[in-house]
Amino acid sequence: MTAAGSLPGPDPREAGTQLRPGLWHTINSRYPGSMITKPDFVPLVALRKPLSECRVTFVSSCGVHLKNDAPMEVAHPFGDFTFRRVPSTAKHGDLIIHQLKYPHDDADLDINVIFPIERLQELAAEAVIGALTPEFFSFIGYNMDPERFEAIVARDIAAAVVEEQRADVALLAPA
Amino acid sequence: MEKVIRFVRLHLGDGNEEVGRKEIEKSWIEATRVLLRYEPVDREFLDRVLKADDSTLALLYYRLHFHLIRRSGAWVHDGSR
Repeated sequence: MTAAGSLPGPDPREAGTQLRPGLWHTINSRYPGSMITKPDFVPLVALRKPLSECRVTFVSSCGVHLKNDAPMEVAHPFGDFTFRRVPSTAKHGDLIIHQLKYPHDDADLDINVIFPIERLQELAAEAVIGALTPEFFSFIGYNMDPERFEAIVARDIAAAVVEEQRADVALLAPA
Repeated sequence: MEKVIRFVRLHLGDGNEEVGRKEIEKSWIEATRVLLRYEPVDREFLDRVLKADDSTLALLYYRLHFHLIRRSGAWVHDGSR
Protein backbone atom coordinates (compact mmCIF):
# COMPACT_ATOMS: atom_id res chain seq x y z
CA MET A 1 0.00 0.00 0.00
CA THR A 2 2.98 2.30 0.24
CA ALA A 3 3.02 3.21 -3.42
CA ALA A 4 -0.75 3.25 -3.74
CA GLY A 5 -1.11 5.58 -0.77
CA SER A 6 1.65 8.04 -1.59
CA LEU A 7 0.81 11.59 -2.54
CA PRO A 8 1.16 12.83 -6.11
CA GLY A 9 4.39 14.63 -6.89
CA PRO A 10 4.94 17.49 -9.29
CA ASP A 11 3.37 17.26 -12.73
CA PRO A 12 6.15 16.31 -15.18
CA ARG A 13 4.33 18.48 -17.69
CA GLU A 14 5.58 21.46 -15.73
CA ALA A 15 9.11 20.30 -16.36
CA GLY A 16 8.43 19.76 -20.03
CA THR A 17 8.77 15.99 -19.79
CA GLN A 18 5.23 15.01 -20.72
CA LEU A 19 3.33 15.76 -23.89
CA ARG A 20 -0.29 15.73 -22.61
CA PRO A 21 -0.88 18.49 -20.03
CA GLY A 22 -2.51 17.38 -16.78
CA LEU A 23 -2.46 13.68 -17.63
CA TRP A 24 -0.05 12.86 -14.82
CA HIS A 25 -2.28 14.46 -12.18
CA THR A 26 -5.47 13.07 -13.75
CA ILE A 27 -4.19 9.51 -13.53
CA ASN A 28 -2.84 10.07 -10.02
CA SER A 29 -6.23 11.35 -8.85
CA ARG A 30 -7.99 8.31 -10.32
CA TYR A 31 -5.33 5.83 -9.26
CA PRO A 32 -3.39 7.37 -6.35
CA GLY A 33 0.25 6.35 -6.22
CA SER A 34 0.30 4.80 -9.67
CA MET A 35 2.43 7.60 -11.10
CA ILE A 36 5.89 8.28 -9.77
CA THR A 37 8.65 10.72 -10.58
CA LYS A 38 12.03 9.16 -11.22
CA PRO A 39 14.93 11.17 -9.80
CA ASP A 40 17.34 9.85 -12.39
CA PHE A 41 17.10 10.85 -16.04
CA VAL A 42 17.27 8.13 -18.68
CA PRO A 43 18.37 9.69 -21.96
CA LEU A 44 17.07 8.44 -25.27
CA VAL A 45 19.78 6.78 -27.34
CA ALA A 46 20.41 7.95 -30.88
CA LEU A 47 20.05 5.37 -33.63
CA ARG A 48 23.39 3.98 -34.70
CA LYS A 49 22.20 2.80 -38.11
CA PRO A 50 19.35 3.55 -40.53
CA LEU A 51 15.87 2.44 -39.47
CA SER A 52 15.78 0.25 -42.57
CA GLU A 53 18.54 -1.83 -40.99
CA CYS A 54 17.09 -1.97 -37.48
CA ARG A 55 15.26 -4.78 -35.68
CA VAL A 56 12.20 -3.24 -34.10
CA THR A 57 10.26 -4.53 -31.13
CA PHE A 58 7.00 -3.32 -29.66
CA VAL A 59 6.10 -3.00 -25.97
CA SER A 60 2.61 -2.00 -24.85
CA SER A 61 0.58 -1.62 -21.67
CA CYS A 62 -2.63 -2.46 -23.53
CA GLY A 63 -3.08 -6.00 -22.21
CA VAL A 64 -3.19 -7.62 -25.66
CA HIS A 65 -2.20 -11.26 -25.91
CA LEU A 66 -2.78 -14.42 -27.93
CA LYS A 67 -6.26 -15.81 -27.49
CA ASN A 68 -4.84 -19.12 -26.24
CA ASP A 69 -2.58 -17.47 -23.67
CA ALA A 70 -3.50 -17.21 -19.99
CA PRO A 71 -5.69 -14.11 -19.48
CA MET A 72 -4.24 -11.14 -17.62
CA GLU A 73 -5.30 -10.92 -13.96
CA VAL A 74 -7.61 -7.94 -14.11
CA ALA A 75 -9.45 -8.47 -10.80
CA HIS A 76 -6.42 -8.10 -8.54
CA PRO A 77 -6.56 -4.71 -6.77
CA PHE A 78 -2.83 -4.10 -7.25
CA GLY A 79 -2.55 -5.33 -10.82
CA ASP A 80 -0.88 -8.17 -12.68
CA PHE A 81 2.91 -8.09 -12.51
CA THR A 82 3.38 -10.43 -15.44
CA PHE A 83 3.66 -9.84 -19.16
CA ARG A 84 2.78 -11.75 -22.31
CA ARG A 85 4.89 -12.43 -25.36
CA VAL A 86 3.10 -11.88 -28.65
CA PRO A 87 4.60 -13.39 -31.83
CA SER A 88 5.27 -10.52 -34.19
CA THR A 89 3.68 -12.59 -36.98
CA ALA A 90 0.29 -12.63 -35.19
CA LYS A 91 -2.80 -11.15 -36.84
CA HIS A 92 -5.82 -9.33 -35.50
CA GLY A 93 -7.78 -12.57 -35.29
CA ASP A 94 -5.14 -14.25 -33.11
CA LEU A 95 -5.27 -11.60 -30.42
CA ILE A 96 -7.53 -10.48 -27.59
CA ILE A 97 -7.53 -7.52 -25.21
CA HIS A 98 -7.73 -8.46 -21.56
CA GLN A 99 -7.96 -5.20 -19.68
CA LEU A 100 -10.74 -3.44 -17.78
CA LYS A 101 -9.60 0.11 -17.27
CA TYR A 102 -10.01 1.70 -20.68
CA PRO A 103 -12.56 1.63 -23.50
CA HIS A 104 -11.50 -0.72 -26.27
CA ASP A 105 -14.59 -0.99 -28.46
CA ASP A 106 -12.69 0.30 -31.47
CA ALA A 107 -9.64 -1.82 -30.76
CA ASP A 108 -11.86 -4.90 -30.60
CA LEU A 109 -12.78 -4.18 -34.23
CA ASP A 110 -9.17 -3.50 -35.24
CA ILE A 111 -6.45 -4.45 -32.78
CA ASN A 112 -4.02 -2.19 -34.67
CA VAL A 113 -5.72 0.81 -33.10
CA ILE A 114 -3.89 0.02 -29.90
CA PHE A 115 -1.41 -2.72 -30.84
CA PRO A 116 -0.29 -1.85 -34.39
CA ILE A 117 1.21 -5.24 -35.12
CA GLU A 118 -0.04 -5.54 -38.70
CA ARG A 119 1.13 -2.01 -39.52
CA LEU A 120 4.60 -2.93 -38.25
CA GLN A 121 4.50 -6.11 -40.34
CA GLU A 122 3.73 -3.97 -43.38
CA LEU A 123 6.59 -1.57 -42.61
CA ALA A 124 8.95 -4.53 -42.34
CA ALA A 125 7.66 -6.01 -45.62
CA GLU A 126 8.18 -2.65 -47.31
CA ALA A 127 11.73 -2.49 -45.85
CA VAL A 128 10.96 0.78 -44.09
CA ILE A 129 12.24 -1.00 -41.01
CA GLY A 130 14.86 -3.75 -41.18
CA ALA A 131 12.95 -6.48 -39.37
CA LEU A 132 10.70 -7.23 -36.44
CA THR A 133 11.86 -9.10 -33.39
CA PRO A 134 10.26 -12.56 -33.15
CA GLU A 135 8.17 -11.44 -30.20
CA PHE A 136 6.48 -8.30 -28.95
CA PHE A 137 5.52 -7.62 -25.32
CA SER A 138 2.30 -6.70 -23.57
CA PHE A 139 1.11 -6.18 -20.00
CA ILE A 140 -1.79 -4.42 -18.32
CA GLY A 141 -1.31 -0.77 -17.45
CA TYR A 142 -3.16 -1.13 -14.17
CA ASN A 143 -0.22 -1.84 -11.87
CA MET A 144 -0.52 0.04 -8.61
CA ASP A 145 2.95 -0.62 -7.24
CA PRO A 146 5.40 1.13 -9.57
CA GLU A 147 8.48 -0.09 -7.70
CA ARG A 148 7.34 -3.70 -7.93
CA PHE A 149 6.45 -3.20 -11.58
CA GLU A 150 9.89 -1.80 -12.34
CA ALA A 151 11.68 -4.55 -10.43
CA ILE A 152 9.80 -7.40 -12.09
CA VAL A 153 7.97 -6.57 -15.31
CA ALA A 154 10.11 -3.74 -16.68
CA ARG A 155 13.36 -5.51 -15.80
CA ASP A 156 12.32 -8.78 -17.44
CA ILE A 157 10.95 -7.13 -20.58
CA ALA A 158 14.09 -5.01 -20.90
CA ALA A 159 16.26 -8.10 -20.58
CA ALA A 160 14.19 -9.95 -23.20
CA VAL A 161 14.26 -7.00 -25.59
CA VAL A 162 18.02 -6.55 -25.36
CA GLU A 163 19.40 -10.04 -24.73
CA GLU A 164 16.90 -12.39 -26.39
CA GLN A 165 15.31 -10.39 -29.17
CA ARG A 166 18.38 -8.28 -29.98
CA ALA A 167 16.23 -5.27 -30.77
CA ASP A 168 17.82 -2.09 -32.09
CA VAL A 169 14.65 -0.10 -31.51
CA ALA A 170 11.91 -0.55 -28.90
CA LEU A 171 8.63 1.19 -29.64
CA LEU A 172 6.79 1.83 -26.36
CA ALA A 173 3.06 2.53 -26.44
CA PRO A 174 0.76 3.17 -23.47
CA ALA A 175 -2.90 2.16 -23.55
CA MET B 1 -8.32 2.76 6.44
CA GLU B 2 -9.97 5.60 4.52
CA LYS B 3 -7.15 5.41 1.95
CA VAL B 4 -7.71 1.67 1.49
CA ILE B 5 -11.46 2.14 1.07
CA ARG B 6 -10.91 4.86 -1.52
CA PHE B 7 -8.26 2.79 -3.26
CA VAL B 8 -10.60 -0.20 -3.62
CA ARG B 9 -13.52 1.96 -4.75
CA LEU B 10 -11.30 3.51 -7.42
CA HIS B 11 -10.17 0.06 -8.55
CA LEU B 12 -13.71 -1.32 -8.79
CA GLY B 13 -15.01 1.89 -10.37
CA ASP B 14 -12.24 2.14 -13.00
CA GLY B 15 -10.96 5.37 -11.46
CA ASN B 16 -14.37 6.73 -10.40
CA GLU B 17 -14.92 6.47 -6.64
CA GLU B 18 -18.71 6.87 -6.81
CA VAL B 19 -19.02 4.22 -9.52
CA GLY B 20 -16.84 1.92 -7.41
CA ARG B 21 -19.08 2.38 -4.37
CA LYS B 22 -22.12 1.40 -6.43
CA GLU B 23 -20.27 -1.53 -8.00
CA ILE B 24 -19.54 -2.98 -4.54
CA GLU B 25 -23.23 -2.87 -3.68
CA LYS B 26 -24.16 -4.24 -7.08
CA SER B 27 -22.14 -7.44 -6.54
CA TRP B 28 -23.63 -8.37 -3.17
CA ILE B 29 -27.11 -7.47 -4.41
CA GLU B 30 -26.60 -9.88 -7.32
CA ALA B 31 -25.34 -12.62 -4.95
CA THR B 32 -28.36 -12.12 -2.72
CA ARG B 33 -30.71 -12.16 -5.69
CA VAL B 34 -29.31 -15.53 -6.78
CA LEU B 35 -29.58 -17.00 -3.27
CA LEU B 36 -33.21 -15.97 -3.09
CA ARG B 37 -33.94 -18.79 -5.55
CA TYR B 38 -33.09 -21.32 -2.82
CA GLU B 39 -31.49 -23.63 -5.37
CA PRO B 40 -29.27 -26.58 -4.31
CA VAL B 41 -25.75 -25.53 -3.29
CA ASP B 42 -22.53 -27.57 -3.66
CA ARG B 43 -21.35 -27.20 -0.08
CA GLU B 44 -18.57 -29.79 -0.51
CA PHE B 45 -17.10 -27.65 -3.28
CA LEU B 46 -17.24 -24.60 -1.04
CA ASP B 47 -15.52 -26.49 1.77
CA ARG B 48 -12.76 -27.58 -0.61
CA VAL B 49 -12.28 -24.06 -1.97
CA LEU B 50 -12.02 -22.55 1.48
CA LYS B 51 -9.03 -24.78 2.22
CA ALA B 52 -6.97 -22.82 -0.32
CA ASP B 53 -4.30 -20.39 0.88
CA ASP B 54 -5.22 -16.89 2.01
CA SER B 55 -3.86 -15.12 -1.08
CA THR B 56 -5.82 -17.35 -3.45
CA LEU B 57 -9.00 -16.81 -1.46
CA ALA B 58 -8.45 -13.06 -1.30
CA LEU B 59 -8.09 -12.91 -5.08
CA LEU B 60 -11.12 -15.18 -5.39
CA TYR B 61 -13.07 -12.52 -3.52
CA TYR B 62 -12.24 -9.95 -6.22
CA ARG B 63 -12.81 -12.48 -9.02
CA LEU B 64 -16.24 -13.24 -7.59
CA HIS B 65 -17.02 -9.55 -7.38
CA PHE B 66 -16.37 -9.05 -11.10
CA HIS B 67 -18.14 -12.34 -11.91
CA LEU B 68 -21.28 -11.20 -10.09
CA ILE B 69 -21.15 -7.75 -11.69
CA ARG B 70 -20.85 -9.34 -15.13
CA ARG B 71 -23.76 -11.72 -14.56
CA SER B 72 -25.88 -8.85 -13.23
CA GLY B 73 -25.95 -7.54 -16.79
CA ALA B 74 -24.81 -4.08 -15.69
CA TRP B 75 -21.22 -4.42 -16.87
CA VAL B 76 -19.40 -1.11 -17.39
CA HIS B 77 -15.76 -2.23 -17.49
CA ASP B 78 -15.18 -2.91 -21.18
CA GLY B 79 -15.39 0.59 -22.47
CA SER B 80 -19.16 0.74 -22.51
CA ARG B 81 -19.10 4.07 -20.73
